[in-house]
Amino acid sequence: MAETVETPQVEPAEESPVLTEDPLTQPAATPGEWLRANLFSTWYNALFTVVFGAFLGYAFFRLLLFVFVTANWEIVRVNLTTFMVGRFPRGELYRAWVAIGLVSAVSGLGVGVAARRRGRANRVALLRMAAPGIVFVAVLLALTSTATPALMVALSALVALGSRTVGMRLPPRVGRYMPILYVATVFGAYAAFSAGSPMTYNNFQGLLLNVFLAIAAITLCFPFGVLLALGRRSTFPAVRLVCVGYIELIRGVPLITLLLMGATMLGFFVPAGMTRPGQVTRALVAFVLFAGAYVAEDVRGGLQSIPPGQVEAAKAIGLSPLKTTLLIVLPQALRNVIPALVGQFISLTKDTVLVAIIGLTDVLRVARAVTSQPQFAGQGLQAETLLFTGFLLWSICFTMSRASQRLEKRLGVGMR
Amino acid sequence: MTETAVPADATRAGGTGDVMISCEGVDKSFGDFQALKDINLAVGRKEVVVVCGPSGSGKSTLIRCINRLEKHDRGRIVVDGVEMSDDLRNIAEIRREVGMVFQQFNLFPHLTVLENVTLGPRQVRRWNKKKANELAMQMLERVRIPEQAPKYPAQLSGGQQQRVAIARALAMQPKAILFDEPTSALDPEMIKEVLDTMQELAESGMTMICVTHEMGFARQVAHRVVFMADGQIVEVGTPEHFFTNPQEERTKLFLSQIL
Amino acid sequence: MAGGGEQTAVRQTRPPPWRDVRIIRVVAQVVFLVAVFFFLRFLFTTLMTNMRASGLPTGFAFLDQPTGFDIRGADDFRPSQPIRDALLVGYANTIRVAAIGIALATVVGVLLGIARLSTNWLVRKAAAVYVEAIRNTPVLLIIAFMYFAVVLAALPGIADAVNVFGAMILSTRGIWMVWGEATQPLGPFLAVLGVGLAVAVALGVWRTRLWDETGTPHHRVLWGAGALLLIGGVGYVALGAPIEVTLPTREGRLVTGGIELQPTYGALLAGLVIYTASHIAEIVRGSILAVPKGQTEAAQAIALSGFQRMRYVILPQAARIAVPPVASQYLNLTKNSSLAIFVGYVELTRVTFTAIGNANPAPQLVAILALGYLTLSLFISAIANVVNRSLALKAR
Repeated sequence: MAETVETPQVEPAEESPVLTEDPLTQPAATPGEWLRANLFSTWYNALFTVVFGAFLGYAFFRLLLFVFVTANWEIVRVNLTTFMVGRFPRGELYRAWVAIGLVSAVSGLGVGVAARRRGRANRVALLRMAAPGIVFVAVLLALTSTATPALMVALSALVALGSRTVGMRLPPRVGRYMPILYVATVFGAYAAFSAGSPMTYNNFQGLLLNVFLAIAAITLCFPFGVLLALGRRSTFPAVRLVCVGYIELIRGVPLITLLLMGATMLGFFVPAGMTRPGQVTRALVAFVLFAGAYVAEDVRGGLQSIPPGQVEAAKAIGLSPLKTTLLIVLPQALRNVIPALVGQFISLTKDTVLVAIIGLTDVLRVARAVTSQPQFAGQGLQAETLLFTGFLLWSICFTMSRASQRLEKRLGVGMR
Repeated sequence: MTETAVPADATRAGGTGDVMISCEGVDKSFGDFQALKDINLAVGRKEVVVVCGPSGSGKSTLIRCINRLEKHDRGRIVVDGVEMSDDLRNIAEIRREVGMVFQQFNLFPHLTVLENVTLGPRQVRRWNKKKANELAMQMLERVRIPEQAPKYPAQLSGGQQQRVAIARALAMQPKAILFDEPTSALDPEMIKEVLDTMQELAESGMTMICVTHEMGFARQVAHRVVFMADGQIVEVGTPEHFFTNPQEERTKLFLSQIL
Repeated sequence: MAGGGEQTAVRQTRPPPWRDVRIIRVVAQVVFLVAVFFFLRFLFTTLMTNMRASGLPTGFAFLDQPTGFDIRGADDFRPSQPIRDALLVGYANTIRVAAIGIALATVVGVLLGIARLSTNWLVRKAAAVYVEAIRNTPVLLIIAFMYFAVVLAALPGIADAVNVFGAMILSTRGIWMVWGEATQPLGPFLAVLGVGLAVAVALGVWRTRLWDETGTPHHRVLWGAGALLLIGGVGYVALGAPIEVTLPTREGRLVTGGIELQPTYGALLAGLVIYTASHIAEIVRGSILAVPKGQTEAAQAIALSGFQRMRYVILPQAARIAVPPVASQYLNLTKNSSLAIFVGYVELTRVTFTAIGNANPAPQLVAILALGYLTLSLFISAIANVVNRSLALKAR
């Protein structure tokens, strides 16, 4: 007769207060179960939920009260255009709408062409990415006093939808040329502002200035950073030393130092005969020199991640070093570091507000300046203006961040 | 190296008899470690030479010196009359005329199979797209995977990837191909398809130097087998002599371990 | 070379110099260095020429000149002191903000990071909202908000200052906190504390040995802390209270006692901590998630409790992953302290640029400024490297 062997009772490991996996992958449960598991799992958890929940509820209530009741948004409403473009001549504001229309058209086209190439676009994901932008536009429209902006926005939306339809009809091969079109659009948008008028980017103010600086700096610092990264990995010691020295020097100093240097000293580096660079130019140079070093470090990570066998295979078929870098190394390296690069670009966008310190009238400086206007002085409206500015910048950066997450996910799917 | 009845020696080229690749007195060190010591080898046109030996014996280093993936310290390496030296033109020419197949395949993951194969002809030999594509499809048919042309390397099995790598080397229409342990990274069931491809290549008259552990292949296809250990050529022989009647002790030891 | 077949004619062995790899390497580097040298020389001479044309001094002698301006918050500083002193005061302020900011941001950041992984949905979501909101906002804006909207606008003027439990006084003029004043020379008391610390360490070692031999839980932290407190307490009483607690008291517009925190300093610190903590939280969360799932499973398989799993398996590995990015956040915080210039806190950057505004030569001052931050950055990086190396998994 067989003995029954008692299986020892094993205590399950205590529930950890910290998850080690993504909670979004948990299977769905009934509301009751969910409440129990997520909010009231142990006695201290339950107590914590109640206390913390009460505190959060109170804070949230106060916040809503502030935003919708006590705050005086008049200051923002009245100065909305100033926030956007500073002292841009009001009669020429149509240029802004032309630029927005152009960007809408090309964006719609891009979305259409991409949808054509990839088949069905995921509507939900697209909406999730566009949601902050939609909220952004809605808030801005809520603050406008005339009907023109609303009309213009509606028009731009129609243009975007129309060009999207056009894009979906075009042959997929057009997709190869879209990047060129995007670059052209950037220049076109700038031309919309400055063509036929004495205004250059040195006169830009408000959010326009921040956006301009961000786009221009990103565009210029990228090739610079790639060259630095390649130089840092060069087999020539002299080149490597110079690149390392530059990168470490720049990464050790705050951006504001470079901006202040540019503002006070750049003129000294220009020989006596040439024209002194404008204020915005100086800031732009500082941004490019600064961001280039950080981009270089990100790209270097990508270069390091490429197996040496790739370069060997390229050598073995007789590819020249230049062609190897351009056709084999860089495409792979850059693809690997796109998330890090986009993070860098988001940082750069946030950093554009630093120009407020060197006296350029960007959106932050406008926020500070309007509180001194005679009709608003002394009312302590800094919270409103700063919150609004924060909202503007946050929306832009959050959208970029969402787009980056989507890009990361797509890259994971595309090549494998 | 003893004489006796072994007709083949390292410095006498087999194949058609006229020398395609020759190494004379080649030395190579990595810091303090000497990887190649006084290598003398002549490989004839259309000859298939298999190089084997324990790990660290310098076999991979030797063939990597031939196409300048490593730079030899002393001695001469000559490929079809062109010496491998510090001359940029020589280096480029030899790399064009000698193909290489790697253990890790080293296909370019961001390009399709077709693009992998046409890259060399288009960028280095400057052929137009049509001509390059035609040649590439011919090569892919030769390695029996023409239908994989539009796919990306990651979508292929290991054996298929290695065959693409062979097609990529062939597309440059080389005079010789170097193989650096081409089947060592493959799962067992895929080794055969690659070896079959290499055998067909040998039978079509390609000059080949293969570093490999596949003794069945050596026995069947090679004209000569070279055994290396500790950076030196220890023994050379035809497959018949090498496997049935090895002369050196080290050779015997090695063969007893792998056969 | 033994016979056997024709050797095809070999081309000559020495290549012409323009195709020789070795020569090209050397020449290319020389050309590059020469180009860089000439470019820098051009910049330098243009700089010198323009500066001389404007009548600005080109040496470092100006450092001995009197400063000519006041430093808000540094009561011991006189405008007649040389500029180098002003720079040092500014540098000290930068270091103070950086050090305390790093400490606070780490504490808050780690807590937040763990909160983002909590099993409690409310805590998790609240932390997520905080992190996503703050991470995408410029740090300058947060600092500005803390100062202009919170400190300046929300705090009352000195006449109506708020007194929090008698321990803090809040107003726009300043913030005063309860502090300790030394009533006697602190030597003896510090010696007592030293002794206490030594005893605590000795106790810790003894308890650890006991645990090694018998398996009794060591509780060495409790023992050590208890010993320190006991000895410190006894010493305090025996010496007759060498440190006296002073509460801030206000009479009209004057506040005595306690320690004063400038509002600018407080706002800057708060802004920096809030911002950097959100980044550190993301890093902490990412590094905990990056520990392979197999580690959790193995720990569960040997029946470690949740806390033990965290303490002995997950967190040590997560720390390894987290050190480099957290170190770079520390560097960012140190550099972001320069944004104090926007809210008026006087640290190194502000001193430098006020000096430049007072007709002192910009290039030299900026060079000193860059050197100051570089030194701090190198210092923090060096410590991070040491920590990193000591944590690194030993590989073959």
